[in-house]
Amino acid sequence: MTTNSEFQWVLKGRCYKLGHDVWHAGGVVPNWIITGRHFDPQEIIPHLFEETDPGFHARCKPGDIIVTGKNFGMGPKMNGYIAMQALGLGLVCESMPFLAYRAAVGCGVRVLTDCVNVSEFCDSGDELEVNFRDGFFINHTRNIRREYPPLPDALMEIVELGGNAGWLRHWQAQQQAGSAAG
Amino acid sequence: MGMTAVEKVLAAKSGRASVKPGDVVSPEPDFIMIHDGVVMGAKRELDSLGITRLARPDKVLMVTDHDVIYGSARAAERGAFNRKAAAAWGVKNFFDVGRGGHGHIFPMESGLLLPGMFYFDNDRHATNAGAIGAFGFRIGTEITRVLATGTNWVMVPKTVRLTLKGRLQPGVYARDVGFHFAAMLKKDQLQADLDYRVLEYAGDLEQFGLSERAALCSTPTEIRAYGVFIPPSQAILEHARKKGQRPFTPVYSDADARFDADLTLDISRLEPQVSMPGSVENAVNISEIAGTPVDHAFIGSCGSGMWEDLVTAANILRGRRLAPNVRLFVAPGSEATNRRLAAEGLLGVFIEAGAVMLPPGCGPCNDAVIGPVHAGEISISTATNNNAGRFGAREAKLYLGSPATVAASAVTGKITDARSL
Repeated sequence: MTTNSEFQWVLKGRCYKLGHDVWHAGGVVPNWIITGRHFDPQEIIPHLFEETDPGFHARCKPGDIIVTGKNFGMGPKMNGYIAMQALGLGLVCESMPFLAYRAAVGCGVRVLTDCVNVSEFCDSGDELEVNFRDGFFINHTRNIRREYPPLPDALMEIVELGGNAGWLRHWQAQQQAGSAAG
Repeated sequence: MGMTAVEKVLAAKSGRASVKPGDVVSPEPDFIMIHDGVVMGAKRELDSLGITRLARPDKVLMVTDHDVIYGSARAAERGAFNRKAAAAWGVKNFFDVGRGGHGHIFPMESGLLLPGMFYFDNDRHATNAGAIGAFGFRIGTEITRVLATGTNWVMVPKTVRLTLKGRLQPGVYARDVGFHFAAMLKKDQLQADLDYRVLEYAGDLEQFGLSERAALCSTPTEIRAYGVFIPPSQAILEHARKKGQRPFTPVYSDADARFDADLTLDISRLEPQVSMPGSVENAVNISEIAGTPVDHAFIGSCGSGMWEDLVTAANILRGRRLAPNVRLFVAPGSEATNRRLAAEGLLGVFIEAGAVMLPPGCGPCNDAVIGPVHAGEISISTATNNNAGRFGAREAKLYLGSPATVAASAVTGKITDARSL
């Protein structure tokens, strides 16, 4: 599939650092967002990290990067990633349960996982630059540079297209264009 | 370097000579399973994208097992929607109410699911496929991409091998092995990360028939295994040949395959286990908890709903009555098992004992659509897990045991080792 060469794979922004073992329910969004099946980003955004960092949604800016310890997003759900994608945030984790990673990709979040000890190389408020296509992580505040595993090629396409729904929309458009041409 | 069973199956279904953990592939599934609770969401999502034709409607199995008898007007509406969806999509393999049973059980029994196969499923208990030597991968709501395009991306998982040593003593069952294994991992007496791993069993497996293999698949799923695989024995291959509706090629890990961890568990002296409320990992020897009063009991689910499970329970219930304060629900795994229970007189055993027979399917073990518990009640069941609120009030206490333990406990009204009756 053709993809979007204009897509912004490099994010520059402030670091928001979280610890290890953050559950999706409670840690990322309140549980009622999950059980109430709220998937509209505008409904979720005011509640992103509400229980751990009140007012986060008002302070963060597009390009800001959430850096986490191990096991981020336990109890994999999509709701928090929908809000992160809509806010233009990046996500860099020491590790995630695989299905949490899959949910983040499926929601179109720029995400790196298996970034060993990354939380030792930054603190909240540091100026970060992360290239999610190549896996480069730069902390401009501390002058630290690290390289981590990038997203696999097959998953970059999903993120570029805004997640699973965007990918399917693009696929369907191509099918229709193909049948019209044929 | 050799390949593990899951690597071989994913390579074959992706048209590659070999794959390794971490590779991203798009395997061609043998079939695509979608359960009743997610058809409406999937259909509406695809319709909104203008996708009205499925890539391979011939491969789709629609299964009504989560909410079979419609306890609410909303459920009845969903049933009607699903029937229209099957017709609109041209899905012929629609196992609706009263037509198949539990989607993670009847395909193995009937020969639809055979050794070496691979399929996508919206539900995580597709891991049951390992009982027959196949793989079912949970894809959640991304089942829409599978329906539309015929496949989806899969990252090849690592494999953890668990070698079982010894034979279970009489009165100890495969579900007990799973509970014990989970507790050993929690206590760090065995060390492995099961997140997104395939758990492959090895060792003294000949003693386990198909139902016990399904039981062995159950608990690892609750502690994050993405797949479970049990190399098919001669008996399993014989069953598959007899019931098989098409040819199949069984798959086994190579002798030099690489495993992420290699564990060994001696099961020869295992006692019946009970998982204490909150997690399958909270398993203890039944002697530590025997005597706890119970109000509610349930036999069924992906892990314990096959013919042999129900025979074990019936043998304990025969000629006995439930304790006056206990209600026992039984959900056979398939319509075929239900018919056989009737034909062989076991249905009468359950009914005479005072049990309530539920339609084949998930029973209470799906969001309490039927037979739930109330706050303060104590339940013992063969459900897949006992996380708070699994089937009703979060304030209820949910214990897990084997079908024998649940049947014995329902008779005495307290948690009971069936060997003591």
